[in-house]
Amino acid sequence: MAGKGGSTPATYSPSPTTDKKKPSLFNEDLARPDGRSFHQCRPAFFRTGAVNAASGSAYAEVGNTKVIVSVFGPRESKKAMMYSDIGRLNCNVSFTTFATPIRGQGSDHKEYSSMLHKALEGAIILETFPKTTVDVFALVLESSGSDLPVVISCASLALADAGIMMYDLVASVSVSCFNKNLVIDPVLEEENGQDGSLMITCMPSRYEITQLTVTGEWSTPKINEGMQLCLDACAKLAKIMRSCLKEAVSDSQE
Amino acid sequence: MGLPNVSEDLSSEMEVDAFRRLFPLRYFERHLAESIRPDGRPLGKARETSIFLGAVASANGSALVKIGSTTILTAIKMEVMTPSLESPDEGCLAIDFHMPPICSPIVRPGRPAEASPVVSKQLSDTISSSKMIDLKELSLVSGKAAWMAYLDIYCLDADGALFDAALLSAVASLSHLQIPVVAMNDDGKIVLVSEEDGQKREQEPVNKEKRKLTLRSIPFSLTCILHKNYILADPTAEEESIMETHVTVVLDTSGQLISLYKPGGPVLAYTSAIQDCAALTRQRVKELKSFLDKANSAMEVE
Repeated sequence: MAGKGGSTPATYSPSPTTDKKKPSLFNEDLARPDGRSFHQCRPAFFRTGAVNAASGSAYAEVGNTKVIVSVFGPRESKKAMMYSDIGRLNCNVSFTTFATPIRGQGSDHKEYSSMLHKALEGAIILETFPKTTVDVFALVLESSGSDLPVVISCASLALADAGIMMYDLVASVSVSCFNKNLVIDPVLEEENGQDGSLMITCMPSRYEITQLTVTGEWSTPKINEGMQLCLDACAKLAKIMRSCLKEAVSDSQE
Repeated sequence: MGLPNVSEDLSSEMEVDAFRRLFPLRYFERHLAESIRPDGRPLGKARETSIFLGAVASANGSALVKIGSTTILTAIKMEVMTPSLESPDEGCLAIDFHMPPICSPIVRPGRPAEASPVVSKQLSDTISSSKMIDLKELSLVSGKAAWMAYLDIYCLDADGALFDAALLSAVASLSHLQIPVVAMNDDGKIVLVSEEDGQKREQEPVNKEKRKLTLRSIPFSLTCILHKNYILADPTAEEESIMETHVTVVLDTSGQLISLYKPGGPVLAYTSAIQDCAALTRQRVKELKSFLDKANSAMEVE
């Protein structure tokens, strides 16, 4: 009983015995840790209506990355905010403490909320709800690589579920760079060892990009190749998302 | 013939919605007078309940529980700590209840919801009072190393009776918990022993195999609303916000009272009302016990 009182004692997670010195991510056959080819995405699963209490919500699984997003509103803005002719978008991304292999590491991604906001802002028709705010809250239940692209895709589904008017669904995919090789939809191990990364958020039907993020060193031809890879993957992802919305509509009609 | 009916049906439906929104208390009391609730349940019946074990692959134990729309996800992470001097042979449980902003329109990001620490405290007290877990089982090396079990409980959808669902989820995840095999290395640190390394036997494992905790008496709870002469079991969020007197009774599987929680409210809790709540809870405990047993046996098959 005494152990529970006072401040929490320092704890550490038991690590594996062997200190393998960063084993090569790709074996001789140039296969990835989970057996995918370089330009193959993980299987994606989406479902809308995950949270009853929200105006709109969606749940997404891409590989082992699991995300749940709720949308509230349009609702009254806080009084402190200035008057606005167009609507406001408010985004927040958080991680569960158990999302990462080491407990509590998820709080390091403070920039994700802002990036989600920028990614969605271009796709939402803000003029349709003046003076009010739409809140988008995302929670990453399990983090297994490419978390932010999954959050963005799931958030656009949640907005659609809430009936917010948008120009198009927003799909997002990222790619990692290893020397001369491009690897799409990286898992956590690949992200930790990458030389650079590129993330694209786009509206596939309109072929417009709402966000492009590049980190590390990239040559121009490499960027073009990466962008093309991502755009193709986004188009496929958008098909999955659309079929999810159609299923939800037909289910509710039955 | 069709048109008048259509407009009449539509207007009457709108009238019901308006009545519910403008006069919620009278709306509910009209239902209570008929011994029924707006969602069609009898007064003493709890909502549909489901338990799913192993929802989080990276955690040592996890469970997803749904009671009606209320959804709670619990995951347990085992970490190593140095036990305190007062109890060198005991480990620790750290229970935290989180209400992220996704679960309810009331919760905002940043400051934690008011209900979070209340439920956290209730859960900690209930689990320690029930003596479900023997903390000595969490010891590894006396005075040097012991397990700290972090129970992180997340509310994914808040639709009433959060404590009931949170307790069931915590209990289910503890029953699913697998304590990993570890050994002490030369530096005195605890390290994981993988199956391959086990063959080499360089280090003697501290515990022989992956094992489960022994759960002694398992607590289950039921929250009821007292309103005039009525008792409503397992309230929804709407019912909770309209009627103010809540009573939560926690019993363990042997029928012993673990906790009774009544946070204010205008209705007085007479002995007869408490006894009725306890009777409803006793019935609910049997239900939940069978659900949990089914979930565990389903896991063993896999």
